[in-house]
Amino acid sequence: MPERVLKRSVRVQGAEVFRDYTLIFVVLFLLALGLVMLYSTSSYEAALQFGDSAYYLKKQLFSTVIGLLVMLLVSVLPYRLWGRLATPAFALAVILILAIIPFGVESRGAKRWLYFFGVSFQPAEAAKLATIVVAAAMIERLGSLVKTLRGMILVFLPPVILSFMLYKITRNLSSAMIVMAIVACMVFVSVPDYKRFVLLAVAVAAAGALWIFMTLRSAQAAEDTLNFRGNRILAWLDPQAYADDTAFQTLQSLYAIGSGGLFGKGLGQSMQKLGYIPEAQNDMIFSIICEELGLFGAICIILLFIIMIWRFIFIANNAVDLFGAMLVVGVTGHIAVQVILNLAVVTNTIPNTGVTLPFISYGGTSVLFLLFEVGLVLSVARGIRLKAIDSTQ
Amino acid sequence: MQKKLVVLFVIVLLAFLGLSIQIYAISRDKGNEYSKTVLSQQSYDSRVIDFKRGSIIDAKGTVLADSELVYDVIVDAKQMLSKDYYLEPSLHALEELGIDSAAVRRYVTDNPSSQYYIVMKNLPYARKTAYDERLRVGREQEEENGTPVKDRIYSNIKGIWFDANYIRNYPNGSLACDVIGFTNGSNQGQFGLEEYYNDTLNGTPGREYGYLDEMSNLERTTIDATDGYNLITTIDANIQSIIEKYLKQFNDEHANAVHTGNGANNVGCIVMNVKTGEILGMGSYPGFDLNDPYNIAMVTGMPRLNEKDAPSGEYLTGEDVNAMSADDQTRYLNALWRNYCISDYYEPGSVAKPFTVAAALESGSITGNEHYDCQGKLDVAGWEIYCHNRYGDGIISVSQSIEMSCNVALMEIAFAAGKENFCKFQDIFNFGLKTNIDLANEVRTDMMIFDADKMNIADLATNSFGQNFNVTMIQMAAGFASLINGGNYYEPHIVSKITSASGTTVRNIEPRILKKTVSAQTSAKIREYCHQVVVGPNGTGKTARPAGYMIGGKTGTAETLPRQNNEYVVSFMGFTPVDDPEILIYVVVDRPNVVFQADAKFATGIVRNVLTEVLPYLGQPMTEPLSESEMEELSQLEESNAYAIGASGAPAAEEVEEEETVSEGGIPEGTEDFVTVGEEEKKEPAWKSFEIDPETGYLIDPSNGHHIDPDTGFDYDSTYADEVVTPIP
Repeated sequence: MPERVLKRSVRVQGAEVFRDYTLIFVVLFLLALGLVMLYSTSSYEAALQFGDSAYYLKKQLFSTVIGLLVMLLVSVLPYRLWGRLATPAFALAVILILAIIPFGVESRGAKRWLYFFGVSFQPAEAAKLATIVVAAAMIERLGSLVKTLRGMILVFLPPVILSFMLYKITRNLSSAMIVMAIVACMVFVSVPDYKRFVLLAVAVAAAGALWIFMTLRSAQAAEDTLNFRGNRILAWLDPQAYADDTAFQTLQSLYAIGSGGLFGKGLGQSMQKLGYIPEAQNDMIFSIICEELGLFGAICIILLFIIMIWRFIFIANNAVDLFGAMLVVGVTGHIAVQVILNLAVVTNTIPNTGVTLPFISYGGTSVLFLLFEVGLVLSVARGIRLKAIDSTQ
Repeated sequence: MQKKLVVLFVIVLLAFLGLSIQIYAISRDKGNEYSKTVLSQQSYDSRVIDFKRGSIIDAKGTVLADSELVYDVIVDAKQMLSKDYYLEPSLHALEELGIDSAAVRRYVTDNPSSQYYIVMKNLPYARKTAYDERLRVGREQEEENGTPVKDRIYSNIKGIWFDANYIRNYPNGSLACDVIGFTNGSNQGQFGLEEYYNDTLNGTPGREYGYLDEMSNLERTTIDATDGYNLITTIDANIQSIIEKYLKQFNDEHANAVHTGNGANNVGCIVMNVKTGEILGMGSYPGFDLNDPYNIAMVTGMPRLNEKDAPSGEYLTGEDVNAMSADDQTRYLNALWRNYCISDYYEPGSVAKPFTVAAALESGSITGNEHYDCQGKLDVAGWEIYCHNRYGDGIISVSQSIEMSCNVALMEIAFAAGKENFCKFQDIFNFGLKTNIDLANEVRTDMMIFDADKMNIADLATNSFGQNFNVTMIQMAAGFASLINGGNYYEPHIVSKITSASGTTVRNIEPRILKKTVSAQTSAKIREYCHQVVVGPNGTGKTARPAGYMIGGKTGTAETLPRQNNEYVVSFMGFTPVDDPEILIYVVVDRPNVVFQADAKFATGIVRNVLTEVLPYLGQPMTEPLSESEMEELSQLEESNAYAIGASGAPAAEEVEEEETVSEGGIPEGTEDFVTVGEEEKKEPAWKSFEIDPETGYLIDPSNGHHIDPDTGFDYDSTYADEVVTPIP
């Protein structure tokens, strides 16, 4: 016993453990706010469909509690452990995506879910986490070689495989894009060069513009041969013309945002959730937040995300090793990209693609893995020595 | 790397800033427009809540008509197909509701985007609640057992909805169909009480609607539906079913006898309370099923109609009905639904004679002590108008003129009264005008009643015995009730009480005396004359008297237009007890399906059958001794009857009854209007020696081959009006 007490006191003396209470508070606040808004948004449809207005709330609450436990566990485990598990993690992600081919369950026209003992699970979320871990491990191992073309290809290779599989097997373009964006963020931070990233950004933007142009051309040629993505692009450019089908959800979402005003209609007072925005608790929950809480509420939520990302950047900056910093940068990229894409879809800034709003949208797998990632960040934060912070600032 | 992190943070910040500006821009530029769009998308005035139409109940509480909550079953194919494991449990659930799931499967496969398809109408309330309960229990069990989502049965029933509405239900089928009428799908009554009291039976629909309060919040408000009022009628379902039983029995006995078709063009019967004007039962044949009024098969056997909707002399066969055009179907169904007792008119014949005598007595034109000499015919302004008995009735009193139904004496009595008095009293008796009975589609016949200034002497002569003017059954019954009850003309009515949906009385409908028709003294004389029709030695209505009771009454036989067709409307008006009448019965048989129609036994037979059951049911004390055969008849009837709705006498018992009617009292068969006088029988008049025709049982006059009634001498092949041609005004 005395030995243990001694050991602890030594540790406290050596360096006090850093706990980022701001980050923990922001995460818990977002989760709580998310549950409240989820209930407000989904209760009407849940009561109609399942006869239980708290149907979605209960399921989400269950996932959130599990997620918090996972977060707690991951945050106390040494994050270096995950570097050794990078290869198995990648293999597991590949297996899970492949498992969709025989065992996947179709919902709303897309085959993206697996069922384990009655609990649905989306392998795309696992792929995002695997990307972060694998890329971080790869960047650390390569060291300064990352700068070389060969090094970059090596870092990009596993995520490209995952991304390609996600797009081909699950027809999930948005998840594929997010995987690529995560690794792009990590490489951007790890390589002290700008030129090639500017070129890359220009190339991506040009490819996107060309794709939209081609879609419009083929739309003029023959309207009926368009696939659903093509239709979404047309609906994005002119939502009123597709108000009855493709753009219905987008347009209704804009109506919700526009009708909210400065302070909104009040919690629970949304009219658009009454069947006008189908499954508003998924991708479109932010428009209901705008309607009920107004511009004020929307800006508050955006500020919460900004604080969260600021804390991530802070932790990444102070991480004791490259692997930890890269983990945090990956998580930052994941959450930032997803929030930006979601808000962009809801405001019709980009064509409609199914991206959920982290911590707030309905989705058990999503919240579970997001909290896993926050756990990683907290674990990295634990490694920070307070003295080190003092010295850098 | 630190620098890069800051750059990353700045990029993210810029993106967030851009999106915040975008949200602000939407709110600023489109805020008003979108707010309006959102409000205009909401449905404020959505849903109408159906009311329950009131019930129709008989005097004893038997439900004749009520409204039942039922459901339409709706299938939403889109939802049913939204998960592959929804379809089978949902189809199974439909199967349990008694719906052909194979057809639904085909529909759902062919129309995967359909969201509103009615697969079943009128699912009873009880079955819907049982289904709901099974679903609830099943879902709970699956939840408890933790069955995997895909393997659940009850929780995966999707895309089945129920739309509630009311349908009209008639628990007794065709019972009192003419009186009740029916309703169409939108709660509009057709015919009978349903039409007459349509607004009373209907309630006010409720509404569920939304509106925006001052904060532009959507509020919802529900105004409940007010259910309709119930009708308590004077109809007694047991009396009604007795009437309908014997109307049907009459039809069964005579259908397809001479020509194909029903036992008569029409048969009607009214049973009424003499002292209140309350209708206890009213029916006609053929009837129809109130739950299926459009069943065209029911018109089979009805007379074919000509262009003017009058009977053409031909009758509808089953093939005719199958080949009928839609227009014709409507025409014949309307004829079927029409209530013969109030919507059809006819010449009343000799039942009008007590009215003629009452008019003459009441106007002081005769005293009742006069005697008339009937020589078989009367010369009226150059026309020879015959009595029913061309061989002459001899010298008879006023009482005997009713008892024997002598046309010549009645003509003399009408002449004594004069056409002014005669027409004045037709007006007093309300002939030609509506009685205002509370039923839809009562007709007025005032265009077919003479005015004094347009009436010639021949018109008066034929009117005196009930020809050449037209009435409805209800006019005759209401007028006759006043003749025998001391002169009080009651408005005939069927509804005695209106109650609210919760059972509280809204309105009591009391008997209403409209006028005084005759004095009490005249009324007493008419009762005595009519008594003689049943008990007098030459009475024409003997066969109407039920076992154990004394009744008064008057027979009627009227020739229909065109004359010389030998087609007749025969009738009997009866009442009991004789001194202080309470119950009146009136039966009219329009053109019975027999060779010789001019025989009131077709009407008296029905009257006797109905009264034999109705009078004991009403608790009327028996006043007459029973012969042995009558006692046997009654005991057999008692065995076969329970005086309950739905109970009908075994045919065997009724056949026995018929035979005994014939043998009883020595005077076989009803002998309408044309009973011979006693003296003539002793003198063995010429026709008594005629040969009997083995085919028909009537005597044949060798001079012209005419059929002669063996008991009365009535010549069936000639008519009183052979020489009289009087146009209907």
